[in-house]
Amino acid sequence: MKKLLAIILVIAMFASLGITTAFAEEEPIHLTLWTFQELHTQLYKEMLDKWNANPDNPKLEIDMQVYPYEDMHNKLTIALQTGEGAPDIVDIEINMFANYLKGDIQLADLNDIVEPMQDHLVMSRFNNYAKDGKYYGIDHHIGACIVWYNTEILEEAGIDYRDIKTWDDYHEAGKVVLEKTGKPMCTWESKDCWSIYPLVNQHGGDWLTPDNEVRMDEQVVIDTLAFMKSMLDDGTAVACPGGNHHSEEYYGWMNAGNCASVSMPFWYLNRFTDYMPDLAGKMKVAPMPLWSDGGHKSAQMGGTGTAVVKTSEHVDIAKEWLAYATLSFEGCVNTWLILGFDPIMTDVYGSEEMKAPNKFFDYYDDTIFDMLKTILDDIPDTCLTEYFPAAADIVRNEMAYDLVIGGGDPAEIAHACAEELRDAIM
Amino acid sequence: MKHSNRIDGKRQRVKTILATTLMFVTAALLMVPFYFMFLSSLKPGTEMLRNGLSLTFDPGVSSFKNYEALNTYRDGIYWQWYKSSLIIMVLQTIVGLVLSSMVGYGLAMYRFKGRNAVFTLVLILMMVPFEILLLPLYRMLIKFHLTDTYFGVILPYLVPPFMIFFFRQYVLSLPKELMEAARIDGCTDYGIFFRIMVPNMIPAFGAMTILSCMNSWNNLLWPLIVLNSNEKFTIPIGMGTTITPYGNAFDVLMPGAVMAVVPIIIVYLFAQKTFIAGLTSGSVKG
Amino acid sequence: MSENGKTPLLKRGFFTNPKVVPYIFIAPFLIFFLVIYLYPFITTILMSFQKIDGPNSVEFIGTKNYEKMFNRNFKQALMTTFRYAFWDVVVLTIVPLIFAVILNSGSVKFPSFFKSLYFIPALTSTIVVGIVFRLAFGTLETAPANRLLALFGQPAKDWLMFADTGNFVLILLTLWRWMGVNIIYYISGLQSIPSELYEAAKIDGANSVQQFFHISLPGIKPVLIYVITITVLGGFAMFTESVALWAQNNPGGVGRTIVGYMYLMGFYKNNMGMASAVGLVLLGLVLAVNLIQLFAMGFFKKED
Repeated sequence: MKKLLAIILVIAMFASLGITTAFAEEEPIHLTLWTFQELHTQLYKEMLDKWNANPDNPKLEIDMQVYPYEDMHNKLTIALQTGEGAPDIVDIEINMFANYLKGDIQLADLNDIVEPMQDHLVMSRFNNYAKDGKYYGIDHHIGACIVWYNTEILEEAGIDYRDIKTWDDYHEAGKVVLEKTGKPMCTWESKDCWSIYPLVNQHGGDWLTPDNEVRMDEQVVIDTLAFMKSMLDDGTAVACPGGNHHSEEYYGWMNAGNCASVSMPFWYLNRFTDYMPDLAGKMKVAPMPLWSDGGHKSAQMGGTGTAVVKTSEHVDIAKEWLAYATLSFEGCVNTWLILGFDPIMTDVYGSEEMKAPNKFFDYYDDTIFDMLKTILDDIPDTCLTEYFPAAADIVRNEMAYDLVIGGGDPAEIAHACAEELRDAIM
Repeated sequence: MKHSNRIDGKRQRVKTILATTLMFVTAALLMVPFYFMFLSSLKPGTEMLRNGLSLTFDPGVSSFKNYEALNTYRDGIYWQWYKSSLIIMVLQTIVGLVLSSMVGYGLAMYRFKGRNAVFTLVLILMMVPFEILLLPLYRMLIKFHLTDTYFGVILPYLVPPFMIFFFRQYVLSLPKELMEAARIDGCTDYGIFFRIMVPNMIPAFGAMTILSCMNSWNNLLWPLIVLNSNEKFTIPIGMGTTITPYGNAFDVLMPGAVMAVVPIIIVYLFAQKTFIAGLTSGSVKG
Repeated sequence: MSENGKTPLLKRGFFTNPKVVPYIFIAPFLIFFLVIYLYPFITTILMSFQKIDGPNSVEFIGTKNYEKMFNRNFKQALMTTFRYAFWDVVVLTIVPLIFAVILNSGSVKFPSFFKSLYFIPALTSTIVVGIVFRLAFGTLETAPANRLLALFGQPAKDWLMFADTGNFVLILLTLWRWMGVNIIYYISGLQSIPSELYEAAKIDGANSVQQFFHISLPGIKPVLIYVITITVLGGFAMFTESVALWAQNNPGGVGRTIVGYMYLMGFYKNNMGMASAVGLVLLGLVLAVNLIQLFAMGFFKKED
């Protein structure tokens, strides 16, 4: 009997010990995050450390899994389809996002973290990831399109890039560059959308209306394609080596000083610093030239909507951390410092924190944001409906190819692509 | 007579020189991609971006530094991938060999009702593109909680039809007397298989070991769907994460690729003799 | 003990019953077939008649997936696949055969050394080697393939931007990887032909070409059938090679195969129903081509 009592006592002691230690050192909450961009994990890790450093926050442990781009989206599709194996937080690329807003939406709406901040945010970036008034994704950047000029080549041709105001100026400058240096002014992508879509969008065009009416064969699209073709025809523009501005062939070719400029979204800054080191100090950024017949100062392109999965066991805590990591002042400043993106929070522009020296200022100069501020007031919304992925696919795989490689007639290309998109919608 | 013999000998020598030269040139051409791979693995990634592929060896920029980077890249995750690949390869090969050799043997050695139907089924399955079954299979894995497990990865390769086919062909080419003699000695059917037939099937096992290791080591799609944790990834998937739309991590990719070829070549060199002998005798009969 | 030619009844349990034994040997396959093939296959058929938008949103839509399937992209994928499969079968049947005959003729020194060496490319990962091929056939004038063209005074080519040159690179990649495997298959067939046949032919005055067509070719027919069958499957179900060269961003759909299209539909465009329908069409194609081929080669006549 005594023995039994002793045993019970011992057990009770251990049990209470267990309970108290459980209280003292609470188990961290475990979350899984999927991304296709390893770079993003640097920001997430930084913001996770900061979160955990604050004793008021529940301890978090985030398992960050990096997948190849296509495969991550495919994996996510399967996981959401089957209702199991999905992560808690996931980075979804903008062109793919609408795929996950079909039917029974498996993502959690983020209105409760987005709406309190909306006066400080560039809200058009959130509309890309919204449906029926609900926000499902948080972007990391605006993605304003700008132009990078190789000043060494331009100087050789006697051109000051600051004098280039319109696309016609750009084309004329290109002719001088070609004549004086034998080098093209720019490259157009033949298997991606980063040449056609920004130009069309800046010109005032888009692929779809919010009601899924196809706009691909509007005059503005045809005019834009015709302009691009005119540059191809006289050699001031060439087909991008490797097919897009993300191919290693292009990096090497551009890095060797073979082309006078390139037009890409702001986030392309870090491709220069990382992959084209020899151009440091030679590249200058400037706003896109304007269209003489209307349009806007820039276009917002690309992006990643970070989303929370509805079936997650910790939806609320995942949202809270995501808000901290991406919607806080600190998070947005780090987005610039770590990733080199143009943050989605208007408050950060002009702040002292953003002026901290970094590799981007070293590569270009520290006037980047002064330039950027001049265009932020006039960037059109893009219209991302559920058929946007289909449209983007047609642009990438057909419109770009037929224009740049096939050398087809702009009007015919636009009509053919529009018809195909209409078929897909029916 | 003597004269023509000399001409024949001469012609034969010319033939030998021509044929051997052709074989040698082809072999050299086939090795070119490896040469590219190895040279690139010695260069810094920025060098790859600057100059693309190049056949010239540049001692100024070449070093084995990238191979050291395999240890440090994302806390040495490359070797985790390596381990996963090895585990899956070994498991898949052993299970596949045991089960399909049994089935192939059964189909070759016994006459029983439905034998032709089963063999036809094996033939048809050899022609079914496995890709079309991915999604339902994945749903099944979820039901049995097998996602993110090595077993889930090898499940569709437990009894590969092409192996059954091969073992059946091979056993058919073995003398039937082997089995008869053993039976007279009082062996059970299983005893005959494991103690008498298996030792006689070693060349076939050699051939299938290499093919199975090859398939497993290079398999991409299915392991990618099944595995979720980066630490459990196989080499092809892991290498895939270094190829991004934002620029490839050549520093890791190229040495990783070279290291990935090594174990399979080692297996090959060891099993080569039995392998070629096995393939030779197994695929003769249609 | 075996006076009446039978094992004594006493010793027979269920598992040693001669009627049962064969089924025990093939049981792994039967279970495997039911679980890994039949059940998923039936599910795929069902899915091909559905519109699937999520776990709780499945709608039966009859044959709509099949009706909507035949658009420009699908036809292009069909074309690409047929073009590739055709050249794949032609090149991978003939080239290794030529090498096998030469290697087996006794005219080559160190034949087994070459045999082993030719096999090594098959051991590599397509994804990784694909990167080498992609860069080798790059668009720039400095790309190795274009440098080679320049040696012959030819202008640089955009190899991977066009269907025909792209297909050429695909075939080259496939040939590079699989040549050694098929050579070994063929040599195994050639070695099974009794040498007396050749000696008799020589006495009859047949030259080596005649010997090849009258002795070697008929002699390796079973191997030929096997090689063609797996090559047809490999050709029609090709996917990895295309991904390795183009990733999913196929310029103008160049190089996108049926499996690639299926993958695009199912995972990229989240249209599982359509993907299932495309998969079944692919299955039909592979089976049809292979069965025609097997009939033409007289494969079924041989079976008892």
